[in-house]
Amino acid sequence: MSRQPPARPRGARSQRTRSTSRFRGWLRHHRAMSLDSARRLLQAPLASLLTMLAIAIALVLPAALWLALDSARLLDAELDESATLTVYLSHGIDEAQAGRIDEAVDAQEGVARTQLISSAEGMAEFQQALGLNDALGRLEHNPLPASIVVVPVDPAPKAVRHLAGELETLSGVDEVRLDLAWLERLRHLAELGSRLALALGVLFGLGVLLVVGNTIRLAVESRRQEIEVVMLIGATHAFVRRPFLYSGAWYGLGGGLLACGLLGLGNQWLATPVSALAASYGATFSLPRLGPEGSATLLLCSTLLGWLGAWIAVSRHLAEVRPR
Amino acid sequence: MILFEHVGKRYGGRFEALANIDFRVQRGEMVFLTGHSGAGKSSLLRLIMLLERPTRGRVLVAGHDIGRLHPSQVPFYRRQIGVVFQDHQLLVDRSIFHNVALPLEIRGVEPREAARRVRAALDKVGLLHREKALPIELSGGEQQRVGIARAVVNKPSLLLADEPTGNLDPQLSADIMALFEDFNRIGTTVMIASHDLALIARLRHRVLRLREGRLIADEEAA
Repeated sequence: MSRQPPARPRGARSQRTRSTSRFRGWLRHHRAMSLDSARRLLQAPLASLLTMLAIAIALVLPAALWLALDSARLLDAELDESATLTVYLSHGIDEAQAGRIDEAVDAQEGVARTQLISSAEGMAEFQQALGLNDALGRLEHNPLPASIVVVPVDPAPKAVRHLAGELETLSGVDEVRLDLAWLERLRHLAELGSRLALALGVLFGLGVLLVVGNTIRLAVESRRQEIEVVMLIGATHAFVRRPFLYSGAWYGLGGGLLACGLLGLGNQWLATPVSALAASYGATFSLPRLGPEGSATLLLCSTLLGWLGAWIAVSRHLAEVRPR
Repeated sequence: MILFEHVGKRYGGRFEALANIDFRVQRGEMVFLTGHSGAGKSSLLRLIMLLERPTRGRVLVAGHDIGRLHPSQVPFYRRQIGVVFQDHQLLVDRSIFHNVALPLEIRGVEPREAARRVRAALDKVGLLHREKALPIELSGGEQQRVGIARAVVNKPSLLLADEPTGNLDPQLSADIMALFEDFNRIGTTVMIASHDLALIARLRHRVLRLREGRLIADEEAA
């Protein structure tokens, strides 16, 4: 007690206590309204659940598409590794020369690493891949040139093409091959998919706004008298809005949770056939999961959408009761 | 406290609810506003509450031209005025206590302080023992007293009442008016719209008479 600074100006202190008590009052109202709106939702459990389900269904489709694209992006990253060039050396180049050319290619700017495949190694690989041991064995000499597999630093098609042009000018190089067309096609498809997901996300987000907006509009209608009375005795718009904003946010959060649940169920439902299908191609592939980060994003978005839908609905009503 | 300068109010450009109203109410006065239904009593009160804005002239309350208030300032202006309605306007799903506490809740008053002030206001109108009841469990006269408690819990400097005794029998009406006189005695400016001429005549306060939207008489307190 004795440590308190003496004789602070009274005006400043009372000003401060007034603003801190106002802040406490504001916090108190937030707490009261969040609980009150949650209680109102629970009082009509079936109606609330239906609203949340409608929100959840609107969220599941874009979220599922987004997940699918996410796994496609992972696949794409793996494919970048395969954006390699094959440099075919001229015929009649011996191993020592090939080694020197390999060093020159490796030293080239934009080359991550190289792998020299001698003509003999190339032949062996060819025989193994095609299972034509006998037929090829009868050839008198090896028709395959030595080649260098080049992994570029930048897998973007433009950069790869530029690198190919550079490598072609090296002496002893016969031809540079790159197969980018299918990779580009895949990229275009992924781009299309992500735009589709964005458009669907926007559309279904609007759907969520409408669902929440309409529900809150009905709630506002049923509490019209209460709103009029509190506005008559000096409630601000923020005060009137607050319980409805919390209702909207609760609806959004509930819808988001249901959507997470639906996505998890869908994942379980599809997991067995998908992994069986992947196994038949000799691959291992598991369906992407939302994960904690994705779930948090989904819940945040759904809550914000619910809040925004409520805000729009209440604001429209408040504009009607302004003094004329 | 209240100053009307050449105030007119038209609805929809045709119907003239109020025309060229001029009067001044001093701080601490008690004034009755009377006239037949449709004479403009409610319109006049609605202008002071800033539920509507005049189409002509200006209204000053506590020295401020309320026509110039920004919409965001309107709630804070209304907090300085206590209003009693003919139909009480109590919230049916809240207890008497919470109905009276509403203005304090809006202001963010700390709950313990709010409870103290609510009980003081309920005590003043003689309903402290009914604080847990719902409005529907109360008689018309009791509901009106709850409405008055709600109007004064904020200690407003101006108290407005629109036909506060409209549906009550003479004895209850007299009780309600006595309550308003009590608040006036401690310095609150009181303005009551009423068509109960007999009751008004007995109370001997200043009377403003309206007819068809015009102020036809301003009778000083006897």
